[in-house]
Amino acid sequence: MQKEIKQTAVIGASAAGISAAIYLKRAKVDFILISKDLGGEMLTSGIVENYPGFIKTNGFELSKKFEEHLKYYQIDIEIDKEVIEVQKIENLFHIKTQEEIYFSKSIIISTGSKPKKLNVPGEEKLRNKGVSYCTVCDGPLFKNKIVAVIGGGNSANEAGIILSEIAQKVYVITKNERMKGDKIIIDQLLTKKNVELIYLGLTQEILGENKVEGLVYLDLKENKLKTLKVDGIFIHIGMQPNTYFIPKEWNILNEYKEIKVNKLMETEIEGVFAAGDVTDVPFKQIGIAVGQGITAALNNIRYLNRIQ
Amino acid sequence: MIKIYTTTHCPFCKLAKEFLTSHGFTFEEINVEENEAGFEEMVQKSGQYGVPVIDINGEIVIGFDIKRLKEILKIE
Repeated sequence: MQKEIKQTAVIGASAAGISAAIYLKRAKVDFILISKDLGGEMLTSGIVENYPGFIKTNGFELSKKFEEHLKYYQIDIEIDKEVIEVQKIENLFHIKTQEEIYFSKSIIISTGSKPKKLNVPGEEKLRNKGVSYCTVCDGPLFKNKIVAVIGGGNSANEAGIILSEIAQKVYVITKNERMKGDKIIIDQLLTKKNVELIYLGLTQEILGENKVEGLVYLDLKENKLKTLKVDGIFIHIGMQPNTYFIPKEWNILNEYKEIKVNKLMETEIEGVFAAGDVTDVPFKQIGIAVGQGITAALNNIRYLNRIQ
Repeated sequence: MIKIYTTTHCPFCKLAKEFLTSHGFTFEEINVEENEAGFEEMVQKSGQYGVPVIDINGEIVIGFDIKRLKEILKIE
């Protein structure tokens, strides 16, 4: 059966996509919200203390609040639908998932990002066998064990703090000269007695057969390979945007594969808007994603009015 | 019989439980953060040191894998 043509398709349902959907619904735009999941990477955010109106919450609770808001406006989501390809053919967008194809006159891409991999030997083989990208999920499995956090930003700092309460010993290994991120979190990490920070350390290999037994890193200060015995490794080295479905010929990605947008969340392709962590915005924050989602929706409405 | 191995704050465990409940399935939850024997059981069954792990009559699902859950539980 031929699907109807929507005015807009919002791809991705986390902070940016949900905010856009709320604004589109209130403006009575005929749109569809398609997403692999609800909440995206926000779900794995541990404690959230910087989103206005919520003094202390977490990614899961916040995403549940967003879901409630969608339900309040009776916004349906095509959930569990991962977009695998998007095409623009004669001013009509064809949005393909494994199961279906959707059509729209414009799109808002808000597919967020996913954790970057180290791409070192042993990482893939030992995933979920001591290698984890979700400290909130798997951290508690390493009670009184020795673990390492790889990374040098906010997520790594937070992971270090969470694990310091669980594990016997926590190494935090960063390739940088110092930890980056919110000072309040770094200060908290530095007070933890069982945390050892290793600066200028470049992880080279994860060791183990059926489970993690250690890691090898290059000490950039001494230019020497060093081995640590650890039971678990938590990788928090940043995120990579979910832009794999965007046609190369659109040429809207920067060197980090983020979508280049202007201040109105427009891309170089007419009718294509983007918002949130998938864009080249330098600060990846829930609050910023919300604002970008709203901007994308409002500008999308203006665009739809213009083309009609 | 469905067994789900979880930790207290794991968001994907919560989503998996919600998914099962919303489709009318009951399950036994084993919080491996508190239950050491349960943790050993999970590792033995799945080789996994990550949650959630779901055991549906001996079929093991790693993570909150909706497609696989739908397939095994025959959900349309």
